[in-house]
Amino acid sequence: MANPDIIVIGAGHNGLVAATYLARAGRKVLVLERREVPGGQLAGDARIGAFATRPIHAGGQLRADIVRDLGLANHGLASEASADAGAYLAPLPDGRMLRLAASTDAATLDSIRALSPRDAERWPEFVRFMNSAAAYLEAGQATPMPRLANADLLEQGRPLAALAWKLRRLGRTDMFRFMRVLTMSAVEFAEEWFESEPLRAAIGAVAIHGVSIGSMSAGGGYVLIHNWLNRGGLAHRGTRGGAQDMVNALVAALRARGGELRTSAPVAQVLVERQVVRGVRLESGEEILAGTVLSDADPRRTLLGLVGAPELPPEFVWQAQSIKMRGSVAKVHVLTDGQHGIPGGTVVIAPTTKYLERAYDAAKYGQVSEHPYLELTHSGDVVSIHYQFAPYSLRGGDWQAMRATLERRAIATVSERFAGFRDSIREVRSITPFDLEQTWALTEGDLNHGQLILDQLLFMRPIPGWSDHRTPVDGLYLCGSGVHGGGGVSGVSGRNAARRVLRVSARG
Amino acid sequence: MNDAPYSLYRLKRTPFHERVAPLCLPQNWRRWAGCITVGSYDLGIDREYWAIRDAAALIDVSPLMKYLVEGPDAARLLDRITPRNIHKMAIGQVFYTGWCDDDGKLLDDGTVTRLGERSFRLTSAEPSLRWLAMNAVGMDVTITEATDRMAALSLQGPKSRAVLNRCCEDGLDTLRFFRMAPNRLGGRSVTISRTGYTGDLGYEIWMDAADALPVWDAIMAAGADHGIVPCGILAMDMARVEAGLFMIDVDYTAANHAWIAGQKSSPYEMGLGWTVNLDKPGYFVGRRALEREHREGSAWRLVGLEVDWEGLERVYAEVGLPPQIPGTAVRGSLPVMRDRQQVGYASTSTWSPILKKYIALVHLERPHFEPGTRVEIEITVEHHRRYAPGTVVALPFYEPEWKKK
Ligand SMILES: Cc1cc2nc3c(=O)[nH]c(=O)nc-3n(C[C@H](O)[C@H](O)[C@H](O)COP(=O)(O)OP(=O)(O)OC[C@H]3O[C@@H](n4cnc5c(N)ncnc54)[C@H](O)[C@@H]3O)c2cc1C
Repeated sequence: MANPDIIVIGAGHNGLVAATYLARAGRKVLVLERREVPGGQLAGDARIGAFATRPIHAGGQLRADIVRDLGLANHGLASEASADAGAYLAPLPDGRMLRLAASTDAATLDSIRALSPRDAERWPEFVRFMNSAAAYLEAGQATPMPRLANADLLEQGRPLAALAWKLRRLGRTDMFRFMRVLTMSAVEFAEEWFESEPLRAAIGAVAIHGVSIGSMSAGGGYVLIHNWLNRGGLAHRGTRGGAQDMVNALVAALRARGGELRTSAPVAQVLVERQVVRGVRLESGEEILAGTVLSDADPRRTLLGLVGAPELPPEFVWQAQSIKMRGSVAKVHVLTDGQHGIPGGTVVIAPTTKYLERAYDAAKYGQVSEHPYLELTHSGDVVSIHYQFAPYSLRGGDWQAMRATLERRAIATVSERFAGFRDSIREVRSITPFDLEQTWALTEGDLNHGQLILDQLLFMRPIPGWSDHRTPVDGLYLCGSGVHGGGGVSGVSGRNAARRVLRVSARG
Repeated sequence: MNDAPYSLYRLKRTPFHERVAPLCLPQNWRRWAGCITVGSYDLGIDREYWAIRDAAALIDVSPLMKYLVEGPDAARLLDRITPRNIHKMAIGQVFYTGWCDDDGKLLDDGTVTRLGERSFRLTSAEPSLRWLAMNAVGMDVTITEATDRMAALSLQGPKSRAVLNRCCEDGLDTLRFFRMAPNRLGGRSVTISRTGYTGDLGYEIWMDAADALPVWDAIMAAGADHGIVPCGILAMDMARVEAGLFMIDVDYTAANHAWIAGQKSSPYEMGLGWTVNLDKPGYFVGRRALEREHREGSAWRLVGLEVDWEGLERVYAEVGLPPQIPGTAVRGSLPVMRDRQQVGYASTSTWSPILKKYIALVHLERPHFEPGTRVEIEITVEHHRRYAPGTVVALPFYEPEWKKK
């Protein structure tokens, strides 16, 4: 495409969502992706192992309004209703399973009652509160956050006031509960609701999932609501065709609106002149000019890598350097003969909240958890193991040397619960935080482009004072998971960024 | 007695302390950047002041912060920090400049000296290591603090060249204004820049701290026939006002020291518009804000004020006194009025012995800063507020023809 109006760096789902919204508004949009395939983290990689290209993801759905706005159903995305949430299963020490759904179905209540009748009584109220908190967070994610120390109060104030009003409408009890839970640790929150340890741990696991915090760290409450919102409860839900369907539909929708996607087109440099964006230079040396550039790459990479600190104000650089990435998730994919014995749905290995905290303790000191918190999903013969914690920065070692240990511990931990697993194994492939950085361009292997911790959320994401997708470089916007609304599959930050760009250009 | 706790609080001594301490007869010491330095060597400062203007004054300026910036991106770093175009500097050239935060407000001011293609010396009033490091992210450059390991002397006055020609290996006749060259002095390696803080002919001599005393001795010996005088910072303070040179945290508040936005100053406001190079390529700290201020004009400006002697006499005559003039520069804020409305303030005022005038560095709101504008400055006469008339003038007040020759 010659002379695009807008360049989007990165064809992760948020980049594609942003690009498609912009193309829909009549802009000439060019998406540049460094990998051979679009989809970002939704797309596996052949180098990791052929079979492992399939189930890198446990689940994930775009928000309903995005699916609607972009007409993704017309481009092959199966409807939401067809998605099977499955159950959230926690093996118990005696070999039984705790089976939880984000509902009050009889099987869930029976399963909880076997542990604690009191907890079973509490469950419906818990689910109701979590659903209302998640709905409120969704509204929060759709609300542009104020830029601190910015005089534009009137413009910022209105949507915020609406959000505050929604908070009030949660009702007195839920409002205070919501505000309290954000800062609470997983343990504190779970203990307040439930007395059964396996139930507390199963919920606590979701409150640290994907983030480098322990069950006793502040902010677990927020993560729980965040994940509950993205998952629609405790278990992962997917689109029927999996993540690939979502990517295909987004690419098709983009093209149908006249947008262009170029893969194998890594951007080396965002071209900036006197704090105004001019376009990009690819690693090939090719320069493409555009007055607006959005980046789906993480903020650290975008700002310090692609723009470069010399083009940015010093205080801003310091803050960009201070964004905490600290990935500590690994994935182990296991090709089996199908006789692994692991049930469908989302299986969590987190027997107690202390177990979760100990798993995290290792990460604090740069070690891979010996007894990790795992989450298992499978698609037939391939078992996908989400492993926490596997810190990006290893103490006295590197990931090349540690890979075998990671795989061994994952398999041992699963085998303890599922006796047939070990013998069913044909091939093992793992994705370490180092791989996530090398192949998926995730700085320090952080899936969320910046930890989902309290000081990096809402109006402080990615950087306090810069929560509205803009940067000190005019015309350069951030649209990936590292900005407000991002983290996990949802398309929110891509959608919000596109709206921001369109609002700015509407003002002229 | 164990004096360790005491030494924690003790001010640093400069490498010249051994020489200057016995000469500081009135024990008139001043604190400068954590060092103990001589305020004046006599009870009055006349002798030292007149050495600056008529002969040669030797001033210990070692407390200045000094940094070496070296490496492939050395010029790039200084070009980013300062509003001047560093890439255009010749080797051996010295730039005076202020530098700003990203809101275009002054953080500090000092000199940049290009020692080589890839090496510079920066002097500043305030510790600047963190700021340098913060700005060097993504650059291939090393920053070394040299404050304590380098000593510096300022030799100022019309005879300063003659003095140095006597004790330096290479003559100084060809060293132009704001240029620097390596030299040998008293058998030691030094670099000499034709710079200073007095607005007179003058040089600054930079050396290893270990060489400080022999260099001092050599200069003092060479200057004996030229009336050289060790000079404290109070006399220099008077001279710098005459030269229209301002001082951090006296005439402007460093942006990172200010409590409120209104205390901050931009280079344009301080009369440093000539150092701001908006045409240079690339980002530099404060560019956006400075572009805006350049477009929209500054709210106020630093200019000079010459107080009418007759007016001063009249005000004092009302109480039966001749004008009472302080013996040193006064660092106190004095309101400046026009038609009974306050239009600004003076930050430093002083009697100028050479001009025989009472002068002040004043900050005036637009449009009152035009030269020729008649204003009044507040003075306290026998405990009562009075106003003395004066005229706005361009800076500097005093610039001898030999300064740049
Ligand atoms: C193993 C794993 C399992 C996960 N499981 C789940 C899950 O079950 N549920 C869930 O909700 N979330 C899950 N996530 C997180 C989720 O995948 C991400 O949050 C989401 O995909 C991020 O999308 P994004 O568009 O913001 O960024 P990304 O998908 O990271 O996209 C960024 C894109 O930018 C490209 N890029 C970077 N630099 C350049 C450059 N210089 N030039 C051109 N292109 C560039 C990258 O190649 C990439 O395609 C998982 C992540 C991983 C890694």
